Amino acid sequence: MTIVLTVIVFSIQSAPFDWHLADGYPEPQVPDDNPMTPEKVELGRWLFYDTRLSGNNTMSCGTCHRQVLAFTDGKTNSIGSTGVHHPRSSMSLVNVAYASRLTWANPLLDRLEDQALTPLLGENPVEMGMSGRDAEIGALLESDPNYRPLAKSAFPDDENPYSVLNAVRAIAAFVRSIVSFGSPYDAYLAGDSNALSPSAERGMELYFSERVECFHCHGGFNFTDSTTHANTDVERVGFHNNGLYNLDASGAYPEDNTGLFDMTGKVRDMGRFKAPSLRNIALTKPYMHDGSIATLADVLDHYSRGGRLTATGENAGDGRLSPFKSEFVDGFELSDSERADLIQFLGSLTDESVLTDERWSNPFAH
Amino acid sequence: MTLARRLARRLLLGISLFCCAACPANRTPVNLEFSATWAGQAIRCGESELSLTDLRFFVSDVVLIDAAGGESPLVLTTDQRWQQQGIALIDLENGEGGCANGTPETNATLSGLVEVGDIQRIRFTVGVPFELNHANPLLADAPLDDSAMHWHWRSGYKFLRAGVTTVSDGFWLHLGSTACTGTVQNIGACRSPNRVTVELGGFSLQRNRINVDLSALFEGVNLNDGIRSDCSSGPSESACTAAFTALGLPFGEDSDRPIPSSVFQVGH
Repeated sequence: MTIVLTVIVFSIQSAPFDWHLADGYPEPQVPDDNPMTPEKVELGRWLFYDTRLSGNNTMSCGTCHRQVLAFTDGKTNSIGSTGVHHPRSSMSLVNVAYASRLTWANPLLDRLEDQALTPLLGENPVEMGMSGRDAEIGALLESDPNYRPLAKSAFPDDENPYSVLNAVRAIAAFVRSIVSFGSPYDAYLAGDSNALSPSAERGMELYFSERVECFHCHGGFNFTDSTTHANTDVERVGFHNNGLYNLDASGAYPEDNTGLFDMTGKVRDMGRFKAPSLRNIALTKPYMHDGSIATLADVLDHYSRGGRLTATGENAGDGRLSPFKSEFVDGFELSDSERADLIQFLGSLTDESVLTDERWSNPFAH
Repeated sequence: MTLARRLARRLLLGISLFCCAACPANRTPVNLEFSATWAGQAIRCGESELSLTDLRFFVSDVVLIDAAGGESPLVLTTDQRWQQQGIALIDLENGEGGCANGTPETNATLSGLVEVGDIQRIRFTVGVPFELNHANPLLADAPLDDSAMHWHWRSGYKFLRAGVTTVSDGFWLHLGSTACTGTVQNIGACRSPNRVTVELGGFSLQRNRINVDLSALFEGVNLNDGIRSDCSSGPSESACTAAFTALGLPFGEDSDRPIPSSVFQVGH
């Protein structure tokens, strides 16, 4: 009897999580101390959309990461629960499970379990405003009639499943579950040669060309060079200065957005940011870490020039001349039709299914 | 708490009880008081012209030094709230007035055991030792479980949070290690550890306390320009220069260590 029970328990615990991946796409890495289960993802889904996770009950994770916008917010700068403008623009969460480093420019953050604490507890800027109040999240799990059974089934082996740690683990598991490769480009790769228009096909050639050089930083199956997955021990991490600013003609960026420099204190890291995944990029405007470029056409102008010229104002300077600029941002000439082709290709990276998939929808809205 | 940690704690408790019973009689309990002033006047959370908005800091590695230069560590007791593993959280704000982001509980006293001698000097560190600084705060015991004293994107604790406000101006400082290498769960080293070592002479355990002079800490900060500013120890924050200088900490890539801090003083 004991043996039979053991076998059953073992088989339940070791049932692999279904990522709904098509053939050929690797599974994400999952930390040993936070294995994926449907129950945990479901708990995380409720928590992700729960405004009680902010200090003044006004915002949830889903406020700045809206499913309809591929889990971004469409704003130049995101706005925290107390009204403070974040210096950065909200990043898409689609396929963030494959990111070798999280957020725009943090070499230390490689686990969603750690990253989730910053929006919850961060004070500068205040995002969700729970600093010093995180115990309230554990109390919510314990006292709320909806959460109690969810937490119990998500963490069945825990003596006390109602902890902040478990809430964070569940949110991380939910966010990690948002993986999808359902774009026309993926269909094209799978053999449907009609999935891309002739224009998008031409744009693809340009995208992967040495002339335009997009793929050096935005390459690989997730269109970013900071990618890892379950079938590799190789960890690729890249931070790049793409010539957006050059405040003092020696490469400075605005003080509240110096990128990797803020984390390392090394001058050579000034203005270096992660190249985000370009999946669903047509839906996630405005662009760049500070949302300072409005459209994809403007983004192409920026890279075509090889850096941005800011003529006047406090950010005046010619980013093209920055000493810290990436070697891949050299500039290029594009005809109008080539420009249109590239934009068509970028549009083919949009996965419409992500925007409506019930698995990642707001449970409070049902 | 895991079983292993619970057992380890019982073992430690056993050892310390044994020690109390078996140690020489000159191992005596000591309470060390902390206070805060602005230009000699007590400063509190409140609504006055110049008020505190925050003052919390970790103290570790407390050493008492006698007339002959002999050093004895102050062995901090462990409680369930303010002290553990040789570190103590001092909390001089009470959550009122401008300290709305704080807590009603305060803790102005550090408690420990020391071999009493003719103590004349004291040395301590404002900060959490590296070995404890980069563990997961969600798994830590008090006071290292206090999320207000931790920054999650840099890994590690805010060693010191201090702030003041006037009617139209203000400044706050969060001090902690920066420029760390590795990843959050596996930090290699921090190029700017930003721990402050304080050594003070003319100190008597019976007569003195330790005073934090916020007017010295914020001496180089303009509190009359109508611009509320802050420093989170980031290398790109120009607002940090003055407070780091006051604490005797280097700031910026190539700066030298300035003169020792006068922020912490012997109080009477």
